[in-house]
Amino acid sequence: MIWMKRNLFRSVGDSLLTVVFGSVAVYVLWGVLQFVFVTGRWDIIQVNLKLLLVGRFPEELLWLVSGSIMALAFWVSAAATSSQSTKEARPGFGRRIWEAFQRFGLLAATGLLLIAVSGDRASLVMGAMILGSIILGQLVGFARRTLSPLNALPGWIWHPLLAVAPIVLVALTLSQASLDLWGGFLINFYIAIISIVLSFPFGILLALGRKSTLPIVRLISTTYIELIRGAPLFVLLLLAGVALEFFVPSSMAPGQIARAVTVFTLFTAAYVAEIVRGGLQSIPAGQTEAGKALGLNTTKITTLVTLPQALRNVIPAQIGQFISLFKDTTLAGVALNVLDLLNVGTAITAQDDFLGQGLIYETLAFVALLFWVGSYVMSRESQRIEKKLGVGQR
Amino acid sequence: MSKDVFTDATIMSGGRTDDDAIVVMDNVYKRFKDFEALKGVNFKVGRKEVVVVIGPSGSGKSTLIRCINRLEEHDDGRIIVDGTELTTDIRNIQEIRRETGMVFQNFNLFPHLSIMSNVAIGPRQVRRMPKSEAEALAMELLTRVKIPEQAEKYPAQLSGGQQQRVAIARALAMKPKVMLFDEPTSALDPEMINEVLDVIKELANEGMTMVVVTHEMGFAREVADRVVFMAEGEIVEVGTPKDIFDNPQEERTKKFLSQIL
Repeated sequence: MIWMKRNLFRSVGDSLLTVVFGSVAVYVLWGVLQFVFVTGRWDIIQVNLKLLLVGRFPEELLWLVSGSIMALAFWVSAAATSSQSTKEARPGFGRRIWEAFQRFGLLAATGLLLIAVSGDRASLVMGAMILGSIILGQLVGFARRTLSPLNALPGWIWHPLLAVAPIVLVALTLSQASLDLWGGFLINFYIAIISIVLSFPFGILLALGRKSTLPIVRLISTTYIELIRGAPLFVLLLLAGVALEFFVPSSMAPGQIARAVTVFTLFTAAYVAEIVRGGLQSIPAGQTEAGKALGLNTTKITTLVTLPQALRNVIPAQIGQFISLFKDTTLAGVALNVLDLLNVGTAITAQDDFLGQGLIYETLAFVALLFWVGSYVMSRESQRIEKKLGVGQR
Repeated sequence: MSKDVFTDATIMSGGRTDDDAIVVMDNVYKRFKDFEALKGVNFKVGRKEVVVVIGPSGSGKSTLIRCINRLEEHDDGRIIVDGTELTTDIRNIQEIRRETGMVFQNFNLFPHLSIMSNVAIGPRQVRRMPKSEAEALAMELLTRVKIPEQAEKYPAQLSGGQQQRVAIARALAMKPKVMLFDEPTSALDPEMINEVLDVIKELANEGMTMVVVTHEMGFAREVADRVVFMAEGEIVEVGTPKDIFDNPQEERTKKFLSQIL
């Protein structure tokens, strides 16, 4: 009561604002709850869940997708636990559970929601298996830290070893079902992941190129960056869809999804380059001088002294760029006619069962929810990495 | 002759001859746009000699030592370090940088590396020393500068005085033939100055060749074999600490000393 008095009703103006915005908030919340629990017809999502998530991906190959997701979950879990320092004091058990809940609670809740919506046993089994692979990853990571033959293995052998299974499975999935059979959220997810992985090193090279002492390298990098940043992403996607036909016979042209990945990679790299360049400029000249005074050559000063610091300084901007890339993957659906989550979402409202019933709100809400969860998790993790790398920084 | 003795910085102390010279600067000029920072400097440092450079700010003292390891490129004249002349050839520059250690006013430790890695990075990356050996060397040097217990920490967790001692250890790890100190205590809180000066004094007593730019006159008097007074890009007066502090000859030296003492 005292808190309310102090913070909400301190003066007449305050009280007025509280009443006005309070009623707006209640009205909006009421509307949302009404929509979610009463008027919303979620059977459209339920019926089309598989289509929304993986599109027309061949049923008999779905185990590859589930396998990849399980392998990824195992990898992340094992890599995270095995890189934990044994020297640092570990927080208590309760505290660790709470942290895990903060990090993965939203993901788990979304998973449970999907299982509940689909309502079949297969998805429940799938969820349990993912949970199992996470626990297995924790155990393997724990073994790596404590058991004797494993903890002697150097990190550069251990981490690639962990990555083998997911990489093999993803490659197998790609080889079995060509990219053009992919669909739904799976496409948005993989276009984003592949583009992030490819554009990051490319962007760093461009940033270094723009700061190079060789005029020709500098010119090429600068021209590239400015050209790409000067063009709207949507136009580039349309160009990739249409203009390529002029140069390459259609039988040889890459599929739409491959084109989307290429455009997103080239586009994001230009932005990553400018972000990294900004980071490099924030490193004081004294760092380079100290490197020179020790006798380090220019390459080593960059790779060991300035670049690691620059990359750490730009984590927030970097992740921001990747989040917007993740969401922009919906543009590929529109520009290149790819059956991504958004396109599936709008297409299913035209199914015979649902046509003309105004169910676009339901599907858009579902689409937005999946993107929001993905973006939010990325943003949280970036804050966590930032904190972790910030050990002893300033 | 008598005038030369106190203006000629190429005459080394203790009767050292040219064979003992480890740093030779011959008529060195350095310009920044239209500002002339060094105007024909002649200067030598002998083996195991401790030379302290003093002078008002903007007099060119920092430029002088930064030219020795090519953090600044001189425009005219010759600089020879341990028999190798500094040219535009990057190999010569690298060789000279390997033989000279530098300690900066702002420490310039690498903030993303542990104290241990800061000290070990030179030997590991430049001298290609195996990790275990480099870390043993780093530990030995950290013990020498009296902070072995901080090895696992990061620079930002240390006080300014501790950071500067790490910076000294980092430079020593390359086993340099000359140590260059560029105002090593100017960025420190007063209570931390002595812990750094003590380490430098110890190095001097162990026979390290050093060129020290500093404003600490007490320290200069105590450890310098020679004191060089610079003003406006020139070497104005040279002598033993006793000569310079108790019996300065040049008007500019007298004026500078009267202002700071």
